[in-house]
Amino acid sequence: MSPSASTDTPAAPADRPRALRLAKLLLSEYFVLVLCVVYVAAIYPFVPEILTWQVASNILGDMMPLLVVAIGQTFVLIIAGIDLSITAIISMAAVVGASVMTGTNGYLSGSAVAVPAAILAMLAVGVAVGAINGLSVVRLNMPSFIVTLATRMFFAGLAIWYVTFHSTSSSIADLPASFTAFATGSVLGVPYTVALAFAIGVAAHVLLSRTQFGRWVYAVGANPAAARISGVPVGRTIMLTFLISGACASVAAMMYASRMQTGSPIAGENILLDVIGAVVIGGTSLFGGKGKIVWTVFGVLFLLLIDTSMKLLGSSLFMIYIIKGGVILLAATVDTFRHHLLVNR
Amino acid sequence: MALTRREFTVATLAGLAATSGMTLAVRAQGTKTIAVLFDGLYSEFWVAGIQIIREDLKKRGFEIMEAISDQDDNKQFEQVRAAIARKVDGIIIVQTDSNAVIPAIKAANDAKIPMVHFNRPPAKTDAFSVAIQADNQKIARDAVTYACEVAKQSGKKHKAAILIGDLGDPNAIQRRDGFEEAVAQFADTIEVVAKIPTEWNADTAFAGLTNALQANPDISFLFTSSDFLIPQIQQALKSADKWHKVGEDGHVIFTGFDGFPDAYALMKDGYMDACGVQNLFYETELAIQAILDLQEGKEVDRLLLDPGFAITQANMEEKAPEMWGYVLWKEKNPG
Amino acid sequence: MATLLEVEGLTKSFFGVTVLHGVGFSVEKGKALGLVGENGSGKSTSMNILGGIHQPSAGSMRLDGVPYAPASPKEATAAGIAFIHQELNLFPNLTIEENLFIDSFPHRGVLPFINRARIRRQTEELLSQVDLPHRPSTPVSKLSQGERQLVEIAKALSRNARLIIFDEPTTSLTRPEVERLFAIIARLKARGIGIIYISHALEDVMAVCDDITVLRDGHVAGSAARGEIDVQRIIALMVGRSIDAIYPERSVKPKDDVVLSVSGLSQPGVAKDIGFEIRAGEVVGLAGLMGSGRSELARMLFGLDRFARGEIRIDGKPLVDPTPATAMAAGVAFLTEDRRGEGLIMDFTIAENMVLASLPTVAGALGLIDRGRISAVAADMGRAMHLSTTKVDDTLVKHLSGGNQQKVVIGKWLRRRPRLFILDEPTRGIDVGAKQEVYRIVNGLVEAGSAVLLISSEIEELIGLSDRILTISRGELTGSFARGDFDREAIMTAATGLAGATEMRA
Repeated sequence: MSPSASTDTPAAPADRPRALRLAKLLLSEYFVLVLCVVYVAAIYPFVPEILTWQVASNILGDMMPLLVVAIGQTFVLIIAGIDLSITAIISMAAVVGASVMTGTNGYLSGSAVAVPAAILAMLAVGVAVGAINGLSVVRLNMPSFIVTLATRMFFAGLAIWYVTFHSTSSSIADLPASFTAFATGSVLGVPYTVALAFAIGVAAHVLLSRTQFGRWVYAVGANPAAARISGVPVGRTIMLTFLISGACASVAAMMYASRMQTGSPIAGENILLDVIGAVVIGGTSLFGGKGKIVWTVFGVLFLLLIDTSMKLLGSSLFMIYIIKGGVILLAATVDTFRHHLLVNR
Repeated sequence: MALTRREFTVATLAGLAATSGMTLAVRAQGTKTIAVLFDGLYSEFWVAGIQIIREDLKKRGFEIMEAISDQDDNKQFEQVRAAIARKVDGIIIVQTDSNAVIPAIKAANDAKIPMVHFNRPPAKTDAFSVAIQADNQKIARDAVTYACEVAKQSGKKHKAAILIGDLGDPNAIQRRDGFEEAVAQFADTIEVVAKIPTEWNADTAFAGLTNALQANPDISFLFTSSDFLIPQIQQALKSADKWHKVGEDGHVIFTGFDGFPDAYALMKDGYMDACGVQNLFYETELAIQAILDLQEGKEVDRLLLDPGFAITQANMEEKAPEMWGYVLWKEKNPG
Repeated sequence: MATLLEVEGLTKSFFGVTVLHGVGFSVEKGKALGLVGENGSGKSTSMNILGGIHQPSAGSMRLDGVPYAPASPKEATAAGIAFIHQELNLFPNLTIEENLFIDSFPHRGVLPFINRARIRRQTEELLSQVDLPHRPSTPVSKLSQGERQLVEIAKALSRNARLIIFDEPTTSLTRPEVERLFAIIARLKARGIGIIYISHALEDVMAVCDDITVLRDGHVAGSAARGEIDVQRIIALMVGRSIDAIYPERSVKPKDDVVLSVSGLSQPGVAKDIGFEIRAGEVVGLAGLMGSGRSELARMLFGLDRFARGEIRIDGKPLVDPTPATAMAAGVAFLTEDRRGEGLIMDFTIAENMVLASLPTVAGALGLIDRGRISAVAADMGRAMHLSTTKVDDTLVKHLSGGNQQKVVIGKWLRRRPRLFILDEPTRGIDVGAKQEVYRIVNGLVEAGSAVLLISSEIEELIGLSDRILTISRGELTGSFARGDFDREAIMTAATGLAGATEMRA
């Protein structure tokens, strides 16, 4: 698909058939971005705050952890897998990291290396759970849905149990200021979290679109048998996607823990459907072989816009769920429709 | 009929202007908005709480921005930030996590928006906010003391059981301490034979109570740290043939806590002897008053206590109208 | 002789492109008409019109003298026309009887219960008509490909088919299954049922059909009774010119250096003590029935399947515990028999498929993949392969014809300049023109000094291309024939394993 950015104004000359223009718009890579703009325009009269600097920066801040997890999930979805364990990785990494660096009875309380050590511990949690997922899928030939469902339950429970040994309350607080500054500080006016997420996004984009590994990921997702016969190390490729997903979840755990200044065993517990929904809204296929990082960025942005505008409107949580569910369903329908258009073009 | 481009543009602009004019008109009235952010609506207590706050705020002419975090501390943080972005005039919050709420308090401080914690205090912090909390220990002690007196008057010795809440929740610990203070005064009458942990889980409570009744069939004195366990308690006592009214043979002296509608119904029917009531009306009053005072720049203490009260078979007529559970019960059973 | 189906002046256009130009043919009752032609010659379109999937732009059809113009596949079925497709339309998870009655289960009177006894009786009757010795309650998943085809025929009979159309029925059958199919077809003819038989396997067409119609570019290129035409003439009509030799001559003889040497290769139930060599510039054909272990041998050599014992050497260097990656590194390439399932990634473009096995060669600075280079090398290879399209970046391989798809697979491997190219059924399901292209490419490869292991079900192809032919049966090599003494009968006998463990002739 070529990047045919549809820059037509709404009132373009009527000499081109309207259906063709609609089709072209639907097929554009930037379709979801266009949807974002249309949505903001539609909701603006009701919540004019949405275009204020403060709300925009809130959306950007809220988006980053979700985006980083969604980037990792994109890899797994392209190889026709799914990683449900991401939320448990976030919880587990958050409490393990917090237990290392907390000022109250932490393993390295007050030490100069507490924060770097905690960051490494958090990454290690993500990579370790990713390795369990990957090995189970590759070596034991188990479906990723079941494997990651199991690791999700296991580590979600373990995280809560872990806290009981490290805190008198239900979470681990008193994190060092140098760590919490990660959520609040900025470099040249760009918040650290945004800078980090941007770097991860660019790296993931290059990895997927411009490297041999990226080609392997798409090949394995589209047809693992053909990939294997073409010399693609199918097992190693699958393994790596789960490691990437795990590491991305760890980074999200850092963002959540520093933002909440707390290592909570329920951090990220509810974001699973947002993450998968955002990736699918972007256009990545649940059946594998198809997906892009930019699509995921747009998908996360769109979901966040809906979420934030609903919050500003004071809609009840249940109404937000209903609307988000409807949007994800619509995205799936549009995806089928796009697919149809592409085939019959 | 085909619209020309010009007609289309004009119509669109007119439509936009009309809708945005409408919103501007709503905003222009100068009403104040209060954000009400709850963790969840898990029991009648919280449903009643948010309803009472809602009605009180409406009566005073405030606009309300409501949100539920559904046990997600990050979502709650985002909700606080959304409220700040809407420039609300105050935030009433039931936080999901006492540690994780601290960045939200700091954000509210920075925006100079007063923040009040409803029924749950935050962890220790430099950031400023006001917490409203029931004096759990005193309320529990008062209610259990009445029950102990009833026990003493019976002239018999009683074996007692307590259903304890989640020990991670300070409210649960305070209620347990209140119970223990009260029974210590009546050591000659009351012997505590079962301390049943419930982790605020109804199934755990039911299993624990059933086991305790089997181990000690002569239990005749019971305190529950929350009224939301009443259905399970009723079931367990019925199974052990211990569900009898005050004055009947085999009656278990029963004390509740919270002041649920269920509790009022049991008091009225004579199954429950006493109940420690959190005064939701007073707590709401305290919360809103705190926000108003803070807006005017007055000093407000960090912790405001709701003394609550114990409703008993003796003072039922007089105290019932102050009990939130009675008000709800009355709505459902008019006349 | 009564005419069953008469087709006249059939014309069909899609979006202004005419794909059928007044095609006409007829089928007699109790006779078989062979319909042959290259891919795109109009066979499928004619059959889709016959089956009610498309409606003709002009022309008429008469069935038993009555005008016939089906508006839907349902109407075609009702009129007594049945299709036996290359890919069978059965539910493998259901039993034979359930498959036969899937759309019209007989009920018990007015009750909504299935009349099992009646189904069983009718199924037994139908199965005996097609010589299938299975119980009606056997799940279809337990049947071989050939047996499933017989179930399809039984299904056609259960609907009182008057005309049965076979589309490439023999591609996935073993030889005995093919013989049995032909016997059943003869029986159908004896019952007065008309047959249309479509196949690329011209030998089969000559064996089964009474009349043959050749299509080319949407026209009828010629029609004749079996006795009046031969395979050479049919091919000439199909491609529009006479072909001197299907199998082009090679200019080089095998060299002395051994590229592949296999010894003692064994895997329980699959391979038994297999040993042979292939020299540079040599084509070795491997003849065997389906399930003989011929494809399994290829998969073991390429590291796709494990083996218990034995040694493989490429250019003298041992290949220990091969995986596809190490086999490729040693210079082995493998064209699989399952082009759609394993050979290609159907949703990838031509260019993406072409470079998949040789990604490091298209990397630019920092090891990042250079899209410009991918396009360039894919376009070059496409030209060398005579691909039908030059849009290698935009065309998904699923939109290519079978022959062009096969060229993409071959091109993908040629980019690696393989020392040993294993070709498993390289010409299955592709038309004569594309077959010749494949033969030309194989010759070019061999002339450049590579070794080729050629596996094929078509004995003619093996004889035409190989320097030597090995036969395999039940996992054992049963014979070796040098080009000088190729003998069809002897090779077939050795391949079926009938000769037993005869002495291998050098």
